[in-house]
Amino acid sequence: MNKSRLGTILFFLSPALALVLVFYIIPLILAIYIGFTPLRDWNLKAYLGKFTTQSYQYLFYLLTHDPDVSKVVKTTIVFTTVTLVVNVLGGLALALATFFMEERVSLTYRSLWLLPRLTPVAVYSLLWYYFFLGDASGTLNSLLLRLGVIDHPVSWGTDPSLQPEGSWLILIVVNGFVGVSFGMIIFYSALKSIPREHIIAARIDGATTLQLIRRVMLPQIRWHLVYVTIWQLLSLLTTFAHIFLLTEWGVVDRWWGTTWALYVFNEAFTTGEQGVAAAAATILVAIGAVLGIISLRLLGFKKMMPEPRGEL
Amino acid sequence: MSLVSRLRLRRRRVEKPTALHDVETIPRRRTTLILALALGIAGLPLILLYLILILSSFANHMLSGPDIFTAKYSLQNWRLLFEGKLEPAAVPLYTFRDLLVIILNTFIVAGGVAVVVVVASTLAGYAFSRMRFRGRRGLMEFLILLHAFPGVALLIAVYAIYVWTLKSIPQSMLTSYQFLYTILARASLEIPMSIWLMKGFFDKIPWEVEWSALVDGASRIKTWWRILLPQVKPGIAALAIFAFLAGWEDLIYVHVFLYVAGNIKTLATFIEEAIGKIETAYLPIAAAAGTLYLLPTLLFFIFTQKTLLETMGGGVKG
Repeated sequence: MNKSRLGTILFFLSPALALVLVFYIIPLILAIYIGFTPLRDWNLKAYLGKFTTQSYQYLFYLLTHDPDVSKVVKTTIVFTTVTLVVNVLGGLALALATFFMEERVSLTYRSLWLLPRLTPVAVYSLLWYYFFLGDASGTLNSLLLRLGVIDHPVSWGTDPSLQPEGSWLILIVVNGFVGVSFGMIIFYSALKSIPREHIIAARIDGATTLQLIRRVMLPQIRWHLVYVTIWQLLSLLTTFAHIFLLTEWGVVDRWWGTTWALYVFNEAFTTGEQGVAAAAATILVAIGAVLGIISLRLLGFKKMMPEPRGEL
Repeated sequence: MSLVSRLRLRRRRVEKPTALHDVETIPRRRTTLILALALGIAGLPLILLYLILILSSFANHMLSGPDIFTAKYSLQNWRLLFEGKLEPAAVPLYTFRDLLVIILNTFIVAGGVAVVVVVASTLAGYAFSRMRFRGRRGLMEFLILLHAFPGVALLIAVYAIYVWTLKSIPQSMLTSYQFLYTILARASLEIPMSIWLMKGFFDKIPWEVEWSALVDGASRIKTWWRILLPQVKPGIAALAIFAFLAGWEDLIYVHVFLYVAGNIKTLATFIEEAIGKIETAYLPIAAAAGTLYLLPTLLFFIFTQKTLLETMGGGVKG
């Protein structure tokens, strides 16, 4: 590689590489390192030089002894599992339904289901804040009162007699509507890429729609199903923006409404225990690395990287 | 209503005798109607929520369903919002909030993210699509892996670096630095997927024209600027919209880097504060703030529906 060619490549790559270096690679190493320091209150000078495993010991102690932390763990497991099932099956149902529709109607519906994903986090959470509001003016309470199902307003996410299920249900509903669109988009384009002849042939042979789906379509998108499941699992474990607002606004119980990622965030930015937070985050990083590599293999990566043409 | 008229339109067109029918065309009209109804019912709560938010911003109380027909509507909430008054119940205690500054702040962050993402990924996307160099494939794989890393782990360390660098910034530059850092940090989150997206757009362009320019002795950089960029304009536009919306909708980054660190507010943290911290906040005004915040998203959404879906499909696939 001669000098000017190297210069050209650097011209094209350096802005992106600089950002990746400063905001991904260095922070990633630093985050794992902070997990081995007693850093608190962002006092870098006093604590960053000390190497210790006390954050991990403390974290282990919390996991085994602190009832609030075990609530967080239970919430994370239930929330992630149920929302994952809702998202994957819901996405599949949406993709199949829109696939069988006529194109123009289908487009409207697909984009409509995309709206929650594009809506600003604060606005989307605000919508649900009003919906689950604990007094009579909350939409859900008002509707149920009118229908005579309940005779006094219910605080769905904070009433102790309804926990933990109340908080969990709210988290699942709120995130479920956002999550289905990911599966929908992937599955829809996968369904579209099934050769038309397969479907027409099955129809001519007299297959019902249900048979068509089970025998012809699902087998052909099975890897997409696995891919969406893994990717969705990863994002459910790591995203927390909506949940952050729901707990801060008191829509859900403080602990029954907190997932592991939010717990990490609160430890770092509210409690001020960055060492413990970084240790807790490192667990997420490890899970992320494994799931990321698996989904990379599933993507059929080589097909997407044809050698560049037109190289002199 | 438009659904019905569309279907009717479609029917008229289908009934013209054509030889191109395949078996798939026949049962579709009824299927479409049934499925549309089913999906409509499933999505109804969601539409209701958006409707209540938007209508409440004009109403004299927070709406909760059937009362949308009986409420009194006016522009009062919007007026109070723009006057920065969130607590009409506590008149003497009005805390003034300059909404125009807050809107401007949100625009700076969103616009900044869009610029950084577009520049970095049109450059890198070209190199990954058109140039052969060692580590090309490895780097692209690595970018996807980065996308899989938990943001919250990064956030702690990115904030630590922020705290560490803030000390050496002179007071007069502090605000600009806080904005710049927020923009760069938020834009970086979008970089891996955006590079993949731009690479995809460059891949679709035939290379013959570019090749002849290169044979004539033009440099790579010149070819990229003069020949390639004009051809990927639609792609750049789509990417810019996406990046803008990403910066616009963000909560966590503006919360941490601007609100907590510098008490600089954007629309997201403004709403967060209105609901969370002000006991006497008047909900319909918060609804007005939410509607205002939703507006650019809705506009882009309505006008770029199709591009949005296609780009999203391409983006998440790659």
